[in-house]
Amino acid sequence: MKPISLRTVTTEAKLLLIGIPVLVWTLLPVYNLFLFSISPKESAFAGNLWPDHPTLHNFAVVFGEKHYYLSHFWLQLWNSLLIAVTVGVLTLIVATCAAFAISRLKVKGGRAVMNLALFTYFIPAAFLAVPMYKTMGNYGLLNNQWALILAMLTIAAPYSIWVLKQASDKLPYELDEAAKMDGASPLQLFRLVYLPLMTPSLVAIGTYALLLAWNEYLYAFLLLSNDRQITLGVALGNFLAADDSPWELLMATGLIYALPPAAIYYVFKRYMVGGLTAGAVKS
Amino acid sequence: MASVTFSNVEKSFGSTKVIHGIGFDIRDGEFMVLVGPSGCGKSTLLRMLAGLEEISAGTIAIDGRVVNDVESKDRDIAMVFQSYALYPHMTVADNMAFSLKLRKAQAKVIQERMSRAAKILNLEPYLARYPRELSGGQRQRVAMGRAIVRDPKVFLFDEPLSNLDAKLRVAMRAEIKALHQRLKTTTVYVTRDQVEAMTMADRIVVMHDGRVEQIGTPLDLYDHPGNLFVAQFIGSPAMNVVEGTIKRENGTGHVLSHSGVRWPLGAAAGAEGQSVAYGIRPEHLSLTDAKAPAAVPAEITVVEPTGAETELLLQAGEAQIVLVTHGRPQVNPGDRVGLAVEPAMVHVFDQKTGQRLAA
Repeated sequence: MKPISLRTVTTEAKLLLIGIPVLVWTLLPVYNLFLFSISPKESAFAGNLWPDHPTLHNFAVVFGEKHYYLSHFWLQLWNSLLIAVTVGVLTLIVATCAAFAISRLKVKGGRAVMNLALFTYFIPAAFLAVPMYKTMGNYGLLNNQWALILAMLTIAAPYSIWVLKQASDKLPYELDEAAKMDGASPLQLFRLVYLPLMTPSLVAIGTYALLLAWNEYLYAFLLLSNDRQITLGVALGNFLAADDSPWELLMATGLIYALPPAAIYYVFKRYMVGGLTAGAVKS
Repeated sequence: MASVTFSNVEKSFGSTKVIHGIGFDIRDGEFMVLVGPSGCGKSTLLRMLAGLEEISAGTIAIDGRVVNDVESKDRDIAMVFQSYALYPHMTVADNMAFSLKLRKAQAKVIQERMSRAAKILNLEPYLARYPRELSGGQRQRVAMGRAIVRDPKVFLFDEPLSNLDAKLRVAMRAEIKALHQRLKTTTVYVTRDQVEAMTMADRIVVMHDGRVEQIGTPLDLYDHPGNLFVAQFIGSPAMNVVEGTIKRENGTGHVLSHSGVRWPLGAAAGAEGQSVAYGIRPEHLSLTDAKAPAAVPAEITVVEPTGAETELLLQAGEAQIVLVTHGRPQVNPGDRVGLAVEPAMVHVFDQKTGQRLAA
């Protein structure tokens, strides 16, 4: 066995010293969420580290829509999913086309668009909530899910364009020239060469936009109000409208709401790998 | 197969002119090499022929048809890039078939042409592989295969061997040449390696600063360089050049270098008193007795035996001279020797213009 030097030990110790508090700090709220969700209503606030009578009853109530606040649970979950996926897809379409046009076709004004995209991040999204509300009102889109989809697209697109443009710049330009000489039109170049090579970045950006929309509360709360239109995130907020909020149900729903993003992340993580362009050009 | 004609071709990037009115013809089936130092405009010229760069002025014609405003894909040319530019997400077979698929060729035709190209290039075992699974030489061959399947009028090569190691480069050089002899397709080949140019070309275009310095067959350029640039660019080791003044007396002449060394002129041209650059290739010098008549006195500084031949570095007056001999002379650094010049092999250039003085 290799002797362990004092230096290795101290390095490990230092890492653990930082790592353990961070881990506890991160997991504690999640554990609390979990604890609430498996506790019976009476003992939810008992402050135990593990409930005396753990139960799945809360989940049964949630899935069965057997509470006033949960009467549209499945529909709201569907709304969240629909909106998140639509935002993810639309953001990908807009950002990919923009990045391709700016980075590969080198259209005029591309730089200006990039600068504007960056500029949008000087203004916090919350500042734009009221103007956005007014704009959507002007278009007659209030309480329509398209309002939220478009708003989230507006927020997600600049960053996505920026990231995808940077990623496209890394693709060797000779590939475009080779495809051009092989007889590819810009659209064929886009479809047959650009998109396959951009897949890892596209998955990353699609996931980003999807999760951004899934987790959005402020805009969803502002732009949607009908119980049949809102997302589950807003519905969760509504739990707190009453004085005696059913915390155990809120937490159970919250746990369910947190699972899809985690699942999405783990499913797509393996696609977000580099190395796809290996072998294209001598580097 | 086709001829290519450049007429007064110019190229500017913004206000910077990089190609200054170039005109020459490439004959049907010819292997033409554009050679020159980095930044001489050879790649730009090739890219203009390929349709990847706009032509600022003048015309380029393929088979008599002016292609200035014709898109790359309609010029019926295929190009092999320096970096190979293979599609990394496609197999070797798909890489080669890509252009034919875009042209909506029949599956049978694609299959036929691909197997032919794969056979020529020994790529048959690799058709299902991805570029990342291939070695540099194999990737280079796939890039060539991609060009071959198209059966184009003209092949363009943009420094295709510069990414390969020295041994592979020599092998691929021979392969490309054999390929050309087999297919007899007009080929334009860009390189900055004059050895590649010499060994592969039917004719060479030597370029410098966006201008053509000389066009000719490899040996023509070697034996009769039109100017000082070509003289020094073509040939390895490079031609020795000594600056001096022509002195003529009793029918013979010599060039008197600035430090007073007399270099025999033979029958070469040039007027008495003219300032010239005197050129002699390393293999046209030989060692002789320091006291022999007409011997140029020199001192050996470095001896470099390579086995087949020996390269000597000498100091003759102010000039550094290289001498190549097939023998293995018993000399040491510091020895004082005489250099015998083959008078018929002397090149004389005007010192101001650099142009060769006609004999």
